[in-house]
Parts: sequence; structure tokens; C-alpha cells
Amino acid sequence: MSKPTAGIFGLTGCAGDQLVILNCEDELLDLVNLLDLRDFLMATSANDTRCSLDVAFVEGAVMSRRDEETLERIRQRSRFLVAIGACAVWGGVAAQESNGNHAALLEDVYGPLGRQYDAIPARALHELVKVDLNITGCPIEKSQILAAIANLLQGDPPLLPQYAVCAECRMRENNCLLIEKGSVCCGPLTAAGCEARCPALRIPCIGCRGPADDVNTASAWAMFEEKGYTRADVDRKLRTFAPKGGRA
Amino acid sequence: MSTTIRIDHLARVEGHGGVTVEMEGGAVRGVQFDVFEGARLLEGLVKGRSYEDISPVLSSICAICSVAHSLTSLKATENAFGVEVSPQTEALRDLLSLGESIESHALHLFFLAIPDYLNYPSAVALAADNLPAVQLGLRLKKLGNTIQETVGGRAVHPVNAVLGGFGRVPGFDQLAELRAALAGAAADCETMLEIVAGLPAASFFRAGIAFGALVSPREYGYYAGEEVTMALDGESETIPAPEYKRFTNERAVPHSHAKHSTYNGRPYMVGSLARLVVNRARLGERGLAAMKRLGLRFPPDNPTDNNKAQAVELVNDVDRALRIVESLLEHGLKDEPPVPVAPRAGAGTGITEAPRGILIHSYVYDEAGRLTAADVITPTAINAASIEDHLRRAAENAAPGEEAALTRAFEMIVRAYDPCISCSVHVVRRGHDG
Ligand code: SF4
Ligand code: SF4
Repeated sequence: MSKPTAGIFGLTGCAGDQLVILNCEDELLDLVNLLDLRDFLMATSANDTRCSLDVAFVEGAVMSRRDEETLERIRQRSRFLVAIGACAVWGGVAAQESNGNHAALLEDVYGPLGRQYDAIPARALHELVKVDLNITGCPIEKSQILAAIANLLQGDPPLLPQYAVCAECRMRENNCLLIEKGSVCCGPLTAAGCEARCPALRIPCIGCRGPADDVNTASAWAMFEEKGYTRADVDRKLRTFAPKGGRA
Repeated sequence: MSTTIRIDHLARVEGHGGVTVEMEGGAVRGVQFDVFEGARLLEGLVKGRSYEDISPVLSSICAICSVAHSLTSLKATENAFGVEVSPQTEALRDLLSLGESIESHALHLFFLAIPDYLNYPSAVALAADNLPAVQLGLRLKKLGNTIQETVGGRAVHPVNAVLGGFGRVPGFDQLAELRAALAGAAADCETMLEIVAGLPAASFFRAGIAFGALVSPREYGYYAGEEVTMALDGESETIPAPEYKRFTNERAVPHSHAKHSTYNGRPYMVGSLARLVVNRARLGERGLAAMKRLGLRFPPDNPTDNNKAQAVELVNDVDRALRIVESLLEHGLKDEPPVPVAPRAGAGTGITEAPRGILIHSYVYDEAGRLTAADVITPTAINAASIEDHLRRAAENAAPGEEAALTRAFEMIVRAYDPCISCSVHVVRRGHDG
């Protein structure tokens, strides 16, 4: 069987998810043997920018007309499109302002020239094109991208956890930061997959993986209220990485 | 006859950038180092937010420099609130930033720069002919990441470094493992030096260059320090962090929409070579030996030597990280919580050295600890003027009609600066027309 053709792309982000791929030091050389990596601008200057691709991994949010065009072109040439990272999946950190005044913000950061820039409010990939798989995280977890690639190579559907960080936190037997210390920890509402990285370090989760699908939101909100936090307090935190914040 | 050389998407740099050079006969009419990366407006977005949220959000400006952004942000906020952290925290922060630099330098040298010098399109192509070199690069890179994971809790966007200290101080066993990994890397550093020493020379022009770097108060590092030294034509001036505007005063330039940082009207270089200019007396023994071995001379007159300077730092960083870990293990690690932080109205500036040069965060807070103003100045934004100046001189020096060679030279020049374009959009930006 011939190797599947693949591309790795970055729209507007911090390149963190592409860096996580390059950080798979132990697996990288195998990876480039299993995949026919045709287009990866961050790592090589010999790219085929037109060939059709079996799978495309796309990082970053859509924040310019140029990004829109790039994403359209990637979608047209790819059979399977994977959004990698909270920016691509949810809009990410830069989407916090989606309710705010984009033009004013541009001018605030870049001065009067700002208004001339090719810049539009951040959107997640699924808002523009069909996305076949979302791998969230800011940045993505190594284990998840590697497992997803392995599954794709086998033709199996990738499995990603639907439950919340809280479940992983309990599995690690951490002390609960919300119940025991009364900190605003977003673990009850945030998608698992990081093995409760932050609470394990005694740091409240700030929701970098975006909202979990499979959670009892009513009981989570009740728990926050019991600790004296309003829905708005928690929502503001959750909107940092996923503009839609906590779900109803 | 007029020619325009245009590189639309620079490969193997982090982010999206390009170069345009217009020439008329032998004269260079215009040089632009462009940044196409979308504007993420993160400094604007953190306004109004509480002091606790600032570092995690601004760390996501850039992945490769995420430790530098976090630590610089923490430094700025702690300066604003008058927070003093413990010596153990200082040592761990130093170590964390050494980890970032090791990872970043190994990535840059082996994936971006060495393939350039040896005329390969990528490290993967290089691996086909010289697998051991690429494996060596990957091992050094992983070592840097192991430090960042052990101390920072995550290799990209560290979570463990917080205001006042660390969420959880790494345990004895974790540091003992790190000690073994660092001690085992000495041979790899030697081989790396050999590879770099054997690279073909790359020189596109030679002339006096201005430099700027944070002064390392004790040993050669990236985190500690409150003053910046600007060195130019054999003279130097040292400027305290809060007066950073004196060397970042931005100036609109006619050939680009980018605003440029200059010092006394001159572009200057920041990064590895600049740090050696300012701090080389603070290198450890191994670092000094590496500097001699690579034949670096001072003051440097060839900006491409930045790659050699990275190799020197890589050797010194591994050695210094080992010494920090040893001393932490020897003195006993305290599982101390972060020192408490009480917000107050005021301003604070933090400067550190990111792997590619000076990084500045400067904040103003109100009495409730809400951010009212944020200024972030990144090394690539500072280097942009110097990159353009260098491109211009290389174009002027080039033989006419050598377009292909010149295009490759331009790419090498830009990559030698190790630009980080996600970072740089915070100051430098043009609209795209392509
Ligand atoms: S999701 Fe996070 S790591 Fe990925 S591009 Fe966005 S900011 Fe960077
Ligand atoms: S605990 Fe929360 S903030 Fe930390 S990595 Fe996991 S999802 Fe992200």
C-alpha cells in the first residue's frame, strides 16, 4: 500500500500545535516514514503546494482573508481535514473579543495603520469548512495526535474523550481545588485529555481544551454557585479559549 | 533594468513571513521583511482582565517562546506589585528558561539552519544522508523539552510557573532524572560543536553591527537581569528596564509599513550573538571553550555568525542547567507554595532574553489588579530593522544577474536571525497584497 499523503498547515496561531508535532522527538522519524509528508512549510522548503492530500492537519484560527483562501484551498485538496488546537477547534485565545469591536481593537494595538490590515475576527475552522476531526488543546497533547495518526493509518475512527477534566483529576486522586480550596477551576466543564495537567500541579484548570460534550452542566453550575461564583465569573474564564464558553 | 526578488512564504521559520527586494541596475530601491501572520490582538484582549489571567493568555502569543512570554509577564506583574520571589523560584525559573533555549536552539540549528548551510530543503532530507546528525539534534531538542516539562509542567505553554513561584515544585526524583539526562548530554554537545565548526562559511557582508542584550547579573542566562546594554562601535550604554522606550522608540520607515525599533537611529541585533557581545565574560568554562573553538571574534562583523553563537549557548546552557540542578539537589528542595500576591495600582516592566533576543512586557494595573495597559515588544520585531538592513547590504554586495543565489542568500540571512513571526506581529505588520 502506498503511504498516505499528508500536509501540516498553520493559519493564525502561535505554531504551538505544529511544535507539539515536532516535539515528538522519539516518533518523528517513524512518522515521516509512515506518512508521505508533502506540504509542511514550518519544517521544509521543498513543498508540493497543489497535490491532493489524504489528510491535512490545520492549526490556528481564521483571522484574515488570506487565511480564508488558504483554508478553502486546503479543504479542496484534502480528503480528511483535522483541526488541531483550540484556535482551530474553537477560535481560541484570539476569539475572546468576538463580541467586541474588532476595528477599535486593531487601532488600539497597531495605531491608525491597524485599520488597513487584512484582519478579521477569529473563527474556528468548522465555521467555514467541513472538519472531519477536531483535536483540541492549547496546545494539543502529543499522545492524542499520535494516537489519531495511528488510527487514521489503520482506518479506525480516532477516539477522543468526551468527559470532563474532573474525571481525570479524580482518577489521579488530586485534591479538588474547587471543593477543597474554593478556587475557580474549570475542570468540571472542560474537555478531558490532558490528564488533569494543571490540577495535578495544584493550579486551577483554565479551560484550555474548550467545553466537554458529556458533562452534567447543571450540577457543575450548582457547585460553582455554592462556592460563591456567579455564572458570569466562570463564563468569563471559559471564554478565554472557547468563545462560546460554558454550555447551557 | 529593474528586478524584484520576492520570497512569498519563507519556509522553515515559525509563522508566515516573506521578503521583497527591489533593485534598479546595481542599486537597491526597496527592502521589505514582511509579516503576513494574522493580527491576534492579544495585548488588546487582556485589557480589563485580572492580573492572574495575564500570563497564561499572553504566553500563547508564541509557542517557541512561550516560556519567555510567561516568565516576562510574571516579572512585569511582580514588579508592578512589588513581589519578591524566593531564591529557589529564581533558580527554577532560570532553569526553565535554559530548557526553552536548549529546545529552541537545537530546533533552529538542526531543522532550520544546518540544512541551509548544507543545501538540504529540510532536516528530513538531511536525515536520508546523515541520520546521526538529525538524531543528535532530536536528542538535544528533547533534553530542552524534558527540562520544560519537569519544571514548567508542559513543553509548550508552561502551566506550572505562576505569580510568586510554582504551582508544584518538581520533586527530588524528577530532578535526579534530569541531572542524569543533562550529564549524559556532554558528548552530544561536543559532536554538535564539531558539526557546526565544519559548516561552510556564510558571509554576505561585513561591517560594524549594533547589539542589545539583557545584562546577566551573575551567570550567563536568560531570565535574571533588570538592565539592557546597547553596544555600538566599541561604545556601550546600560539602560534600566523601565526606560526600555529609549531603545525601542518606534519609527515609521518609508519602504515598509513596519515600525522599526532603533537605538540612536540605528537598527540593532538581538539574540545569541548580541548576548555573547554583552555577557560572554559570564560564560562557564565549557561555553568559553566552545566560543574559542568556533573562532568567534569580538566585536562581530558578520550577523550570520548568530548561528555559531547559538551553538556556543547550547553548550553553555546544558552545562549551566546541570549545575543548577545539582545545586538544587544538594541544598534540598523546599515544597514551597507561591508567595502571596497583593494587587495594587501601578506599572511594572519585565525584560528577559527569549531564545531569539530581548522580550519586553510592560503593564499598568488599577488598584483592583485589573490590567489597564499592556505593551509587548518582541525580539523579532526589534530584529526586523536589522534584517532589512542586512538584506539591503547583501543585495548591494551581490554580483548582478545572480538572482537564484541571491534568493537563497536572503532566505539564509532571515533564518540566521531565527525570526519568530507569531511573536513579531505584535509590532511589525504589513497588509498583504499577494
Ligand atoms: S491552540 Fe494554543 S497552541 Fe495552538 S495555535 Fe492556538 S494558541 Fe497556539
Ligand atoms: S487542566 Fe485545564 S487548563 Fe490545564 S491543560 Fe488541562 S484543560 Fe488545559
